Amino acid sequence: MNYFPDEVIEHVFDFVTSHKDRNSISLVCKSWFKIERYSRQNVFIGNCYSISPERLLRRFPCFKSLTLKGKPHFADFNLVPHGWGGFVQPWIEALARSRVGLEELRLKRMVVTDEGLELLSRSFVNFKSLVLVSCEGFSTDGLASIASNCRHLRDLDLQENEIDDHRGQWLSCFPETCTSVVTLNFACLEGETNLVALERLVARSPNLRSLKLNRAVPLDALARLMACAPQIVDLGVGSYEDEQDSESCLKLQAAIRKCTSLRSLSGFLEAAPHCLSAFHPVCHNLTSLNLSYAAEIHGSHLIKLIEHCKKLQRLWILDSIGDKGLEVVASTCKELQELRVFPTDLHGGGNTAVTEDGLVAISAGCPKLHSILYFCQQMTNAALITVARNCPNFIRFRLCILEPHKPDHVTSQPLDEGFGAIVQACKNLKRLSVSGLLTDQVFLYIGMFATQLEMLSIAFAGDTDKGMLYVLNGCKKMRKLEIRDSPFGDAALLADVNKYETMRSLWMSSCEVTLGGCKRLARKAPWLNVEIINENDNNRMEENGYEGRQKVDKLYLYRTVVGTRVDAPPFVWIL
Amino acid sequence: MEKGGVEHEITELRLGLPGRDVTEKMMKKRGFTEMIMTSSGSNSDESGVVSGGDVEKINESPAAKSEVVGWPPVCSYRRKNNCKEAWTTKVGLGYVKVSMDGVPYLRKIDLGSSQDYDDLAFALDKLFGVRGIGVALKDGDNCEYVTIYEDKDGDWMLAGDVPWGMFIESCKRLRIMKRSDATGFGLQPRGVDE
Repeated sequence: MNYFPDEVIEHVFDFVTSHKDRNSISLVCKSWFKIERYSRQNVFIGNCYSISPERLLRRFPCFKSLTLKGKPHFADFNLVPHGWGGFVQPWIEALARSRVGLEELRLKRMVVTDEGLELLSRSFVNFKSLVLVSCEGFSTDGLASIASNCRHLRDLDLQENEIDDHRGQWLSCFPETCTSVVTLNFACLEGETNLVALERLVARSPNLRSLKLNRAVPLDALARLMACAPQIVDLGVGSYEDEQDSESCLKLQAAIRKCTSLRSLSGFLEAAPHCLSAFHPVCHNLTSLNLSYAAEIHGSHLIKLIEHCKKLQRLWILDSIGDKGLEVVASTCKELQELRVFPTDLHGGGNTAVTEDGLVAISAGCPKLHSILYFCQQMTNAALITVARNCPNFIRFRLCILEPHKPDHVTSQPLDEGFGAIVQACKNLKRLSVSGLLTDQVFLYIGMFATQLEMLSIAFAGDTDKGMLYVLNGCKKMRKLEIRDSPFGDAALLADVNKYETMRSLWMSSCEVTLGGCKRLARKAPWLNVEIINENDNNRMEENGYEGRQKVDKLYLYRTVVGTRVDAPPFVWIL
Repeated sequence: MEKGGVEHEITELRLGLPGRDVTEKMMKKRGFTEMIMTSSGSNSDESGVVSGGDVEKINESPAAKSEVVGWPPVCSYRRKNNCKEAWTTKVGLGYVKVSMDGVPYLRKIDLGSSQDYDDLAFALDKLFGVRGIGVALKDGDNCEYVTIYEDKDGDWMLAGDVPWGMFIESCKRLRIMKRSDATGFGLQPRGVDE
């Protein structure tokens, strides 16, 4: 390969798009490192504190797309206090100062501000794509800047963000000359929407493929929008209520019939179940259906809808579907690859909506299933063993039994054997979440069999440090380990400090690790940031000379090449 | 000096909050705590404790469960949207739907967050960005809009007549109508003291 000119090698590299592969390429030799550096288009940074924007720019001066992730995963469940970090501002400022031709920015669990969005919109002439997932800190004013200033905007995709809705006119900020929009997702906005501006934008966007509306878009507006955009592939229905008349429903039916490219359906944030039948004509082409926010759709309306969806590959649903409903899914959706069943009642009200039977039915009926997230009230080892036998192809297996420490409800045994069967059968398992009553034994199985495992979530499980040690010693590909309310302590934490260099991060909350243990770890591993998050004490731990034996409430550690971060709030103590 | 019975109560060890009635709640909480303590791997001997019976009790003690932060692991965005749905099915508490003539979308308002008709008037004004709705509630005849509500029996009534407490208990939804349209609407007649 060294006999080829650089341009040829670069051309070959263009076909290599996965981050892992490109990272591997850059390690081959100096010449390849250099070529790869200058030709890298997409940069992925899984932890924004592992590196600085300046170093990023030094290494990759020519990238066009940046993905950044901020807070740890458990922040989704309110375990990370407000103000912890994950600020995107320094990144945007550094990129704006440089000459990088940024076209795409994807952020997850980061804090974004209106000022940042304004700066972003003004600094990059070719900026095309903004994807924000689970972010916070900004308002519709920031969206107005993006709409006004990004002349070639293609994607504005807002997923599950906390956005301060000033009920402004951000939609009317898109200039009349803007005809390039391909993705427009504002489902998470709570306020009202300028329907006229929206309809005009949709009407002048011939390339629009994905449109996800918020609650404030009623049924008749939906019908008009779909009539303007029959080419739509991915639709998020907003308020699907039909208070007025069935004429809206008829108009909607007519518009839907023309949408022959529709493949993905979501939303139904408010829902008039009787109007669902308007979608039946397009169901046979649907590959993705997300009804996980549609609490009002259940029973026969839901079943009828699903019976039409024979090509479904992805289904997100609430547990009100019940085991019977899951049996319908199992017999209808033979192409199903990903299933998520979310809980309707978060307080475990005793309504056994879905049980192990539903899970078994799905595993038996859907041979292509590889990803599952399943919230349920009860589980048995026998069911899990059956599931493992039926579906050895799981890549992601996340089971959440709503009640902590709950055993096999038939035998009263821990669920070690069940999860053991899963990890033994599923040789490609990359992500696993365990729940229910579990001893150290399950971790022995995980360490032994889950050789490809990259992410593991543990809650209320295990007996001794041995559990955590089995995992740390066995899972060579582990990248993210997150543990809560489990009896693992310093011995496990400190056994193999170098292991953490091979991982992105470790989270431990309400475990048995002590301040002394964390301090020892920080001393042994200066290339780690060891963060103690203690919102109750507000960092008085240090001043009050807390004993080394003091238990640490929340520990978050991650590898980094740029040392201690400077933006940590008072309640975060970086050792 | 306290009576013997009361003294006995004070010295008795309890798991519940002081002043609460005893036996049932205590038993349920004990069930949950025992569950935690015997959960570490042991099965045979303690299987009696960890049997179906105790499991039922656990389902009945929401106090013990809901204290766990961030559990179940449902992201906060989803929790918020989930809660709203739960609220709208309750009559008189929490959110009711509000429609306004001429406005193509429905809003929801939390009746529980208003103290009286004045509060509600203010909230409705803010909700639709239109002044004058509030005036309708207070000062019946002088303005463009009337605010009516559908009560538990399905009848449409003029808002503002009955005491606030009674109103929020029976109001299922609200509608803001133009006064001109209201005359033929078939509102239930007002009270005698009109």
